[in-house]
Formats: sequence, structure tokens, C-alpha cells
Amino acid sequence: MTSTQQAAPAPAAAPGPAPRTRRSRTRSSLGRLVLSRLRDAVIVQFLVVVTIFVIGFYVGDPVTAFAPPDATEEQLAQLRHSLGLDQPFWVQFARYLENLIQLDVGTSVWQQRPAMDAVWEVIGNTVLLAVLGAIAAAIFGVVGGVLAGTRPGSLTDRVINLIAVVSLSVASFWIGLLLIIIFAVRLDLVPTSGLYEWRSLILPVATLGFIHGGRICQVTRSVVLDEMSKPYVLVARSRGLPWRRLVARHILRNVAATVLTTAGWEFARMFGGSIYPIEVVFAWPGLGPLMTTAAHRHDFAIVEAAVLITGALVILVNLVVDVASHLLDRRLRPQ
Amino acid sequence: MDHHRSGRLSCLLATGTLLFATAACGGSTASGGGQGPAGRTSGDLVVAVATEPSTLDPQLVNDRSSRIVTDNVFETLLVRDGSAQIQPKLADSYERVDDTTWRFVLHPGVTFHDGSPLDADAVVFSIERIIDPEFDTQRTSYTEGIAGAKKVDDRTVDILTDGKNPVLPAEMTSIPMVSPASAQQQSFGHEVVVGTGPYTFKSWQRGREIQLERHDGYWAEKPSIPAFTVRVVPDAQTALSALQAGEVDLVFDLFPEQSALAPQVKEVQASDFSYVAFNTYKKELSDPRVRRAMNLAVDKESLAKTIYQGHASPNQAQHLAKGMLGFSPGLAPFPYDPEQAKRLLAEAGYPDGFDLELHVPIGRYSKGEESADFVAAALDAVGVHTKVVKHDWNDYRTLGRVKGTEQDAFDLKYGWNSNEWFDAARIKSHITCEGASSKFCNKSVDQLVDAGANTFDQADRQRDYEQMWATLHDDPYSIYLLQQHYIFGTSKRLVWDPRPDDAYFVSTMKLTS
Repeated sequence: MTSTQQAAPAPAAAPGPAPRTRRSRTRSSLGRLVLSRLRDAVIVQFLVVVTIFVIGFYVGDPVTAFAPPDATEEQLAQLRHSLGLDQPFWVQFARYLENLIQLDVGTSVWQQRPAMDAVWEVIGNTVLLAVLGAIAAAIFGVVGGVLAGTRPGSLTDRVINLIAVVSLSVASFWIGLLLIIIFAVRLDLVPTSGLYEWRSLILPVATLGFIHGGRICQVTRSVVLDEMSKPYVLVARSRGLPWRRLVARHILRNVAATVLTTAGWEFARMFGGSIYPIEVVFAWPGLGPLMTTAAHRHDFAIVEAAVLITGALVILVNLVVDVASHLLDRRLRPQ
Repeated sequence: MDHHRSGRLSCLLATGTLLFATAACGGSTASGGGQGPAGRTSGDLVVAVATEPSTLDPQLVNDRSSRIVTDNVFETLLVRDGSAQIQPKLADSYERVDDTTWRFVLHPGVTFHDGSPLDADAVVFSIERIIDPEFDTQRTSYTEGIAGAKKVDDRTVDILTDGKNPVLPAEMTSIPMVSPASAQQQSFGHEVVVGTGPYTFKSWQRGREIQLERHDGYWAEKPSIPAFTVRVVPDAQTALSALQAGEVDLVFDLFPEQSALAPQVKEVQASDFSYVAFNTYKKELSDPRVRRAMNLAVDKESLAKTIYQGHASPNQAQHLAKGMLGFSPGLAPFPYDPEQAKRLLAEAGYPDGFDLELHVPIGRYSKGEESADFVAAALDAVGVHTKVVKHDWNDYRTLGRVKGTEQDAFDLKYGWNSNEWFDAARIKSHITCEGASSKFCNKSVDQLVDAGANTFDQADRQRDYEQMWATLHDDPYSIYLLQQHYIFGTSKRLVWDPRPDDAYFVSTMKLTS
């Protein structure tokens, strides 16, 4: 056992200085990394805020929505003045930021309450679905990718590839509807929609996992294939290391960072848009139905709150993935 | 150790492929629990709606998904029966005192769910509340011409009108009475939930469902269904699946092509009439011959048969159906006659046709966009080159109000005319010279509309409106398309007859086991 471990040195296990110094240096370089990524995150979030504000500033005149249809030009001007909408751009922007710091993006005209409240109420459901969906996608992707990558050209490889291509090509809501018809209507195993019990999770999570697992699967397959061609694998196999241990202990460990980055990207992509139609199809009480209804009802405040929060979520996920992949793969650490 | 790991690996393999994973999980619970999925096999009714109500204040909103709640919690002075005839409800009787005063005598002993009495004060409060312009109700079609209300004694109320208002009883079928105590407490609209109806509000989980239960102290006959849930299911296909799986009992607005798949389909000829209105101020459309030609160019039968799969019927060139006041039985739908249409166009000086735009809202009317495409193709075939322009509902509404004489006015506008009054007077805003949505002006039509609105003699009104429709046949303000049907999907266990007036009384429904 010890001999095989020595025979297959992972790149990570490079001999270094004394543990104590190494750890302290690691910590400071990791600290620097986190700080620089946090700085980037703040900049990106600020750009999101600016974009939303600029769109809100130039697109549409909220006064025409509030005012009665037969309001005169003077009445409109008066309303604009009372709402501060006649102030210059920078003054309005400063006021907007001031409110935003208190997490106040205004009142929802549809729900007649602070828009943030409406978003907070449902965001937990969306995050729950996304986390479980990402786990399902990672399982599907990693298992499929390893199976295919370690057996290039085999029937298993070709079948898994086909499934991955299908998962990347078909519309997410269509898969969702198909699963509903098969498993909820025909086989009567799970509820069709809603969130009423734990089984309600199965179909939406499966749909998300299927849609997002395809890319993880393809990436995993290609990095596993790449890794398989490396000399240490040949050496390890020639030394008689059991196949499963080689895969589990060495190959998987070395591809983990790449796979994690892809999975993290897929997770972020869910908040970027793919989860919402799935929520709508499954009548899932999350951000998707909330945002579509808000958009239909011209409720800018809720859409704005949701975009701000999901923007922050995407940035946060990227940050976590960055840091995690650096922890997993020391080659990526800044020197 | 190896064995252990391989066990885990194969377990991952088993769950890896998603379809298998789903089957495995579902299978194990079905055999283990022995119970059906959520919402099934209960004694309560479950209704699926596509959009969540924005508020439960019955005086504010009027859309179908809020009416299924408010129709059952709140009541009105009068009500329509299954055949749309006006009957007493909270008022035992009513009479017209003079030209501008109607007197209603209230049913004794009715109380709101909060225990306060339904007396003259509550009625006056409710009427004054809904007609307040600041209140901004969506039920404006029911408040038209109402000036106020006055208490006579505890059980008697006078409702005052601006001038003569022959449709006041029809309006009283859709003005819900709210408890003054509860309405004055409200901080947000949706908290007004105290009425006199057979069901009381229980809970509202935003984005999920609204629950209601039978009110034990209800003043009239108690309904048979003890409780019901209104569930939000935004996707139409998912709603149909939920119906097929037995999770819900009633789905609104089934697509025609879905109706074959529903366990049971209920259908009713609605008081909704689809049309394509002309901008008669546009040069080419100012000639009645052109507008008659365009009526002849569209095959209404085929539209009903193909796009609506028979779940709609051509209307008799008027926005009324048999049984409604002002219906003219003598008028026939324009026949489908493209040759005659071409001749009329040539006669009017357009042998080579001309170009038009037809505007239609997205997702507002069942098969609205498809119908607009159908009409455009039919007009193309006789030489009127028609381009369909689609708008979101708010833009469509704003742009649709642009006066006919102005630059951006719609040439042609597809829409449905809902006749909530079951009375020809309802069409006024579409056809009078000054009407809010009108791009049409014919003095003799205006005179007939005025005559019908200014008499209480129903026979006179019938005669005036029949004449009005005859005039609108020779000088059409629109292409008359279809009388639309409401299509509902229901579970096998639901016994219910849908109503033409878009009211949803759970008390008239029954569930067989």
C-alpha cells in the first residue's frame, strides 16, 4: 500500500519546506487571494447596481404608471417633483445607493409591500432547489464522466456521451414536462408540482441535475481521459494498484479542481436564468414565478430586487468556487 | 475496505443516471408509504389558477383567479342565476323610486364573518368605497353611472345614479359588500377578507396557495364542500398534468387542444365576443364597403373549427348572444364570400388592395395571436395586405387608446368584448363618437345608444338596440368574429355547471367520492 502511494505522486504532494512555515505562507497567500477576489466581487456587484439604475433611469417613466391616464402635463410634472424624479442623475443615484445600503429598493406595486420582502420570502426555495440540483448535476456529471473517461470508445462511453449531448441540447422546461407526464401522471409516483412534501423535490431536482449535468459530464470525461494518459497512471497500474483505488485516490483528486470549477459555473448559471423556467413548470414557489409575474405586472421593484440578489448570489458562488479550487489544487495558488 | 468502496460506487452508479434515480426514489416511497401524493384523495376541492391574485380585496380586482376566492367570501345585493337572470341575494327586493334612485331592501339577520351586521351603513360604505376615484377599482364596468348611496333605515338603502341608469341591477350583481370595520383596518389591499359569503378566508401562502373553509354561521343554505384551496400553477401543461394526476379538481382556461386530455371538460358560451376593430378615420377604412368586404373575407366557421377546435362559435354580427338585452335575432353572421369581398373592394376603388397593420396583445386572449394570424391571412387573400403586430398587454392597452385621427392609432385591433351586463348598453365605449376605445363615429348609432341608455322601458331599449345593430351591420365598426367559450378541465368527481357570467360559486359545486 505504501509503495503504491509513493509510486503515484500527485502533483499536489510535492515536497516542501517545514510544515509550519508552509502553512503560514499558505494562509497569507490564500488570504491575499480571498481579498483580491472579494475586491473583484464588490466591483462587479457595483457594476450590477449601476446597470440596474441606468436602465431604470432611462427606460420608462414611472410617473405615467402612477398617474391617472387623463393627468395633465402639469400634474405629471408635479408628481415627478414630489417623487424627486426631476433631480439630476447623480443626485438620484446617490439617493438610490443610500436606500440600497438599507436594502430598500422600493415598494412593490403588485404586492403592496417592500419588494425585498417578497424576494426574501421565496429565495430560500430557489437556493434549496439550486443546491440540490447542483448536487444532482455533479453526481450525474462526475459518475458519467468518470465512467466514460476511463472507458474511451466503449459502448458505455458512447451512451453516456449521447445522454450528455441530449442534456445540453433539449429545452429544460420540455424535460420537466416530460418527467411530469411520465413519473407523476403515468406512473403516479410523485406529485406533479408545487412544494408540499419532500417528494415534490424529486422531479425539479432531477430536471436541473439532468440539464446541468451534461456539461460537467463532458468536462469530467475529457480531464479524466487526459489524466489517464499521464505516466504516473501507467506506473501505478504496472505496479498493480487496484483500478478503483487509482481512480478514487488519484485521478479523481487530480481532476477535482476542474470539475468543481465547472460545477460551480453550472451552479452560478442556474441563478443566471436556467432555474427560473424550471420553477415555473413545476409551480415551485421560488424566484422564477415571482419574477415572471412581477414582469407581467410591470412591477419593476421586485424584478430589480431579484436581479440584485441573484447577481450577488452568482458573484458569491464564483468567489467560493475560486477559493475552493485553489484549496483543492495547489498548482493554481498565486506564488 | 475495497468492498465497502465498491458498494458505494455502485450505489452512485445506480443513482447516477437521472431517470433511474427518479424511478428508484419514487418507487421506494410509493411502496413504503402507501399514500398518494400531495393534495389527493381529500374531501376538499382544489382549484388551479395560472396567476396569483394581486389582492383579495373584492372591490379592487376582477380577474378570474381572484374571483374564485372573492366570489365565495363576499356577496352582492343581487346575483345572476345559472341562466344569467338577475335574482335577489343580500337584497330581498328592489324598486326604482325615481329616475335617479333605486331602493334596495336588505335581507334581515345577515352578518359578516367578523360578526358585524350587514345593514344599510355597510352597504352605503361599500358603495361609496368602490366608486371613490382614488380607490381605483378594476371593476369600473360595474360602477359606471353610480353617484352614491344613502341610508333610509337599517334595512333600506337608496342607490343614486347619474341620470337614468337602466343597467343598475346588472351592476349590483358585481359590487361586493365588505365589512366596514375590516376594510377600515386594512393596511394593504389583500387584508380585506371579511365578507358575508359561505366561505371564510383561512390562509394565504404567497406563490403557493390560498385556503378557504366553510363559514359555519352562514346565513343561507350551507354548501356541501367543507373547504377549498386555490393553488398557483403557472404553466398550463403542468396544470393539465396535475388534473390528470388527480391533484386538482378544476383548471381554468384550458387550451382547446388540451380538452381531449382532461378527465372531464366543462364548457360554457361566455359573454365574450372576439372582434377586429377598424380605425374608421383611416382613409381606406372610412368606406363602409371596405369594412363590409373585410367582414366577408374572414371564414368565421373555419376559425372556430380549426383554431378553437369547435370551442367557439361565430357570433351573429353583434356582441350579444340570445337572451341578452338588445340581441337582434334577425341578423346573420356575414357569410364567407371572398369573391364578393374583392368586388366590394374594387367598387370602393381598391382593386389592388392596400396595406394595414393588425395589433394583438400577447398571452391575453386564448388563441388571440393565432386568431389574428388567421384574420391577416384571410384579408391577404382578398388583397388587403395585413401585417400582424404583437404587443405586451400594457403597451397594447395604452396604444389602443390613441384616437383614430392621430398618427399612431391602430389600423386594426384584435380584442374580446366582455359583456358583463348582458346588455347592449355595454358596447357604448366601442362605438360612440366619443367612446374611450372607439375609432368609429356614426351619428345615428350615437342617437340609438343614447335613446337606449335614457329609458327604463326594456321594450323600447330592445327596439333601439336592434336598430343599432342593424346600422352597425351596414356600417360595421369591426370584423365580427366569434362568441368565445370558457373551457374548464375538471376531475371526474366534480359536479358543476359553469356559468356564462364568469362567476365561480363553490356553493354550487359538489364532489362525488
